[in-house]
Amino acid sequence: MVHKKALALMVVALVALLVAPLTVFAQEKVIKIGALYPMTGRAGLYGLDSVDAAEMAIDEINAKGGVKGYKLLLINTDSKAKPDHAVRVARRYIDDEKVHFLFGVVSSAVGLALTEVSKQNKKIFIGTDHASTQLTVDKFQPYYFRVSNNTFQSMAAGALYLKELKQTKPWETIAYIGPDYAYGHDQWNELKYNLERFGIKHKVVGEYWPKLFAADYTAFVTSILKDKPDILISGLWGGDTVAFVKQAAPYGLFEKTLFCSPDAGGNYELMSATGAELPLGLVLSARHHNNWPETAANKDYVDKFFKRTGRYPTYAAEGAYAGILAISQAVDKVGNPDDTEALVKALEGMKIQLPEDPDGFTSYIDPGTHQIVQVQAIGVSVANDKYPPAKRMLGQWKIYKAEDLLPPKEYIDSKRKK
Amino acid sequence: MDISFIIVQFVSGLTMATLLFLVASGLTLIFGVGNVFNFAHGSFYMLGAYLAYQTVSAWYSNFWVAAFVACLGAGIVGMLAEFLFLRRIYGRAEEGGFQILLTYSFILVIDDIVKIIWGSEYKSILRPSGLRGSAEVLGITIPTYNLAIIGFGLAVVILAWLVLTRTRPGRIARATAIDREMMATMGVNVPLTMTLVFGIATALGGFAGALAAPLRSVTPGAGIEVIIDSLIVVVIGGMGNFWGAWLGSLILGEVIAFAVVIVPEWASVVSYVVMVLVLIFKPEGLFAPRSVGKV
Repeated sequence: MVHKKALALMVVALVALLVAPLTVFAQEKVIKIGALYPMTGRAGLYGLDSVDAAEMAIDEINAKGGVKGYKLLLINTDSKAKPDHAVRVARRYIDDEKVHFLFGVVSSAVGLALTEVSKQNKKIFIGTDHASTQLTVDKFQPYYFRVSNNTFQSMAAGALYLKELKQTKPWETIAYIGPDYAYGHDQWNELKYNLERFGIKHKVVGEYWPKLFAADYTAFVTSILKDKPDILISGLWGGDTVAFVKQAAPYGLFEKTLFCSPDAGGNYELMSATGAELPLGLVLSARHHNNWPETAANKDYVDKFFKRTGRYPTYAAEGAYAGILAISQAVDKVGNPDDTEALVKALEGMKIQLPEDPDGFTSYIDPGTHQIVQVQAIGVSVANDKYPPAKRMLGQWKIYKAEDLLPPKEYIDSKRKK
Repeated sequence: MDISFIIVQFVSGLTMATLLFLVASGLTLIFGVGNVFNFAHGSFYMLGAYLAYQTVSAWYSNFWVAAFVACLGAGIVGMLAEFLFLRRIYGRAEEGGFQILLTYSFILVIDDIVKIIWGSEYKSILRPSGLRGSAEVLGITIPTYNLAIIGFGLAVVILAWLVLTRTRPGRIARATAIDREMMATMGVNVPLTMTLVFGIATALGGFAGALAAPLRSVTPGAGIEVIIDSLIVVVIGGMGNFWGAWLGSLILGEVIAFAVVIVPEWASVVSYVVMVLVLIFKPEGLFAPRSVGKV
């Protein structure tokens, strides 16, 4: 019996400890943001970077007194990159935690599940990382906004890069490798669509669909070598790109074919993980680069993140940072975080200056799709050890205008009709 | 498909199969001898990869030393896990359920420990010096490190065969697999045997992790990624059968290697298809379950 009493006391103490910080916050006016980032497994780094960057933005804003008398508050729960789990947490956020915004998400699969919750509950969902175009086109709904590029924009930039490449290095054949889920398939379809749209002649010689988080790509590498494509497009991301590059390099794949990964391949974690092993001359891009644009704002953002965490950010961080800025700008305009319809109006067409904006450009949210419109830079891996532990960074940039990368109206209409 | 491509693809399958086997063999050994399904076996693989990374980047840059540290470290942690935790649930009525809960909790704990020590960033290490190039045979390029991995796999198979069939500890392990109580009455220290078997199996997992580290991304969660395929291997081969794990790895590695070429859009599911077929036509696996040493 004594044991049981002690146990009961412990439980009470534990609950008290857990509830205490919430009651303190409840005293002041807060904008509550319910985030769902993966904190475990291979996507954990993206989640960690996102939360750190979001908190960095929140600390900056709160230090200046918050927004219209409101302090920003971020709560995050491990999404485990699982849609069903994330949906349960989101419902809890809305019903019990009374959050004002849903926020985050790395996996497009989770994003697609949460946008349904957002729609049903009329709760604004700020997407910061996941890139499947479906969220802003096919599955568009008024309460969803995305503050980082989608795969259509990246693939349009990739197609334009390949078009220019024809002039210096005539190429004909192309192959694709990408993870076997929405994100991987979207990229390949969109690249093919854009190659057609820009009238770029090409012949597809291979398509490969490893599962997400596959550990071993050896058999894919040797089969791609047999196809002898001039260009290999990769839709892999994160640790998958790292593993693929490491396994393909000793086969000499990168000397025989031009590796091109326009959406996520150029993310900083590839450089930091592979160091001097990363082959030179790979064509890569990402949704934010630590060394482009070379503006004071971008340098300042990267330095602040490094000082705070001791590591350089992946692109996921900038998406989350942008999301917090968008929320604070919207609340500032509306005056409170409760008037959802007014907030939606405020977000539509919002102009928002971000670290990744080159001089003379300001990102803005397209009212028709709720998709942020941004410039994209594609680079090539070159020697550069200014961002250790990376020994390679991207350079020889090619810049693509934001407006050129948007899906044409007939594309959006045809997808929405379905 | 010309013949040289078939050879290349076969070797790709062998590389995959070997790493798979090194993980699955430990999993099946623990199941065969101890009747424990160690859901956390992949975590020892991950631990091995991180220990190898730690050694190479901070202590001593020789890869083989790192592989040894990985082996030793994973083995010691494995023995501690068995001695301190698993041992307490043997023979309980609900042992099966407890095993899954307990070993699953190991996954979470080891994942978090790894994250606390090494962070969430992806790590990777260089291939050992001397094995960074590739061999050209008849116009076929194969990285020497991949060949070395295949060699290690064969060495482990031969060594395991010798130990299991030709030595006293091997015979004790096989006998324990068949009848634990009988062995105890005959004066064999069964608890010690169990701890040692657990240690050897997790050391194998750690070794696999170290060998894989130069090829794959070292990341938290890497354990879960390999455990699924290893589980499929063990099911195909027969739960607890060492040779079954070997054959199962070979089948799975080669099926995947050629599925990638022949039915690329199905490549991510063929392993499950193979498992389902085996479960339908030979539910006990290709080899009789739990006969560690039988060939």
